Amino acid sequence: MPREAEPSLNEKQFVLQALHDSVRLDGRELEQYRPLELTFGDQYGVADVTLGKTRVLAKASAELTVPYADRPLDGIFNIATELSPMTSPAFEVNRPTETEVLISRLLEKTVRRSGALDTESLCLVAGQKCWSIRVDVHVLSHDGNLIDAACFAVVAALRHFRKPDTSMEGGVLTVYTPAEREPVPLSWLHSPFCVTWSFFGEEGDVAVLDATWMEEQVRSGSCTISLNKHGEICQIAKLGGVPVEAVSLLQCTNVALVKAKDMSSKLDRWLAEDARRRDKGGLLAELSAENDRVPDM
Amino acid sequence: MTTTERPLVLPGDPISPDLIPSSTSKPLRLGPGLRHVPPSDIVPVVAGQLITNHQKNSMWVEYNSNRYIPAPGDLIIAQILRSGPDLYFTSISPYTPPATLPHLSFESATKKTRPQLAPGALVYARVVLANKHMDPEIECVSQSTGKSDGLGELKGGMVFDVSLQFARRLLMAKSKEEGKVEVLELLGGEGLAFEIAVGRNGKVWVGGEDVKAIVVVGRTLRETDEGGLGVEAQRKLVRRLAKGMK
Repeated sequence: MPREAEPSLNEKQFVLQALHDSVRLDGRELEQYRPLELTFGDQYGVADVTLGKTRVLAKASAELTVPYADRPLDGIFNIATELSPMTSPAFEVNRPTETEVLISRLLEKTVRRSGALDTESLCLVAGQKCWSIRVDVHVLSHDGNLIDAACFAVVAALRHFRKPDTSMEGGVLTVYTPAEREPVPLSWLHSPFCVTWSFFGEEGDVAVLDATWMEEQVRSGSCTISLNKHGEICQIAKLGGVPVEAVSLLQCTNVALVKAKDMSSKLDRWLAEDARRRDKGGLLAELSAENDRVPDM
Repeated sequence: MTTTERPLVLPGDPISPDLIPSSTSKPLRLGPGLRHVPPSDIVPVVAGQLITNHQKNSMWVEYNSNRYIPAPGDLIIAQILRSGPDLYFTSISPYTPPATLPHLSFESATKKTRPQLAPGALVYARVVLANKHMDPEIECVSQSTGKSDGLGELKGGMVFDVSLQFARRLLMAKSKEEGKVEVLELLGGEGLAFEIAVGRNGKVWVGGEDVKAIVVVGRTLRETDEGGLGVEAQRKLVRRLAKGMK
């Protein structure tokens, strides 16, 4: 298995020394993110997120299936993460690395278990038919902070996604094509975002947001905080590394809330822009499947 | 200037005979990107600018690739991977077979006084041997004079990755006129004190006392390279970054 190329001793020492002097290689502040960009695809539910040189693509899709026997009233919601060899020669197909497992776990905890998507609304016929929503996350370019970028991409893709409209009449389930009825958005409850702190030095006294790959290779610990814009924390993951004082961790969550609010407003703006772009003749509000139906004469 | 015109060539293009230098005193030398097909055809194998040097009776294709292919005489920055019984294994570029650096290829090195380099240390070295099916060999001493000529271990500082083409431009004898890079002179003019070593494998080592100065030099190099900045834009960039430092 090929190993990740390690930075040289000079680079490691320099990066650490510079961070202790509050200098970052790209001229950013310690608590500053790289420029975050989001482009939606032509289809619904495709989000392409770039964070500096990190690039993550998420695609949401829906298909009709049978619900799990033990949860007949719930739909199915899955997140699949893939780190392909295109990202780095150290990643191989069908052999998940530690990074990949960690990203999947954190996305699962942040988005799925925080109840961001109302899975009950995905059920169509109890115990027989439900929607299975699946998000595929592809990392296209890796320059650090994959978790924050991937989480943003997943949330953006799910909020952008529209599933086909359905109706139940007299025990007959009808699924409409987009030509018949405008697809409907998912029932989305809140938008959680991941904010990852990296700690440097033996005491973990330098805390940095949005670490690049070089910084990630020399950090002595990290902590991922998932929260939404209301400050509701979904999870905190501090997996190993140096111990960090409780007071500074509290400080970290406060800054994380500011960043989550910022990401949330950015996402809202991009979604609104995309909706305007799609709403060519201004007819989308009229076409919406959520409108009341006029009974047939 | 020895290079007058630089026509664009694509792989397999025929090269018109008047572009081929026709000196009778020296043999024609073909550089990277060109292949001789016997009896008398010269075919480009990459896309780029065809450059002919009539003085040296040589021609090559100038192109920008991401993969560094070692060639004898190139100055490179290598990273020590591990030490063998009588040589170091070094990495010129990641995910390629290691290059060897004999323990005695340093200035005035004997078995007892050779430099001890830890894994991860950096050396500025020259490629001695680069054959197609063999691991390349590098050295930190001139074989003819026994002097290091500035080669050897690089202590402290930081390494920045740049494109191979940008590294070649920095290494040109007249980098300002031919390579159109002026950033190093401009940065020196702003009063920044730094040392620099450019490796043809797309690595630039910047050393010095001041951390901020090193970061500014690195950012200038990277932004000039990635943005493909011209001389005027380079001046603006240097002025902006040097101002931000103070």
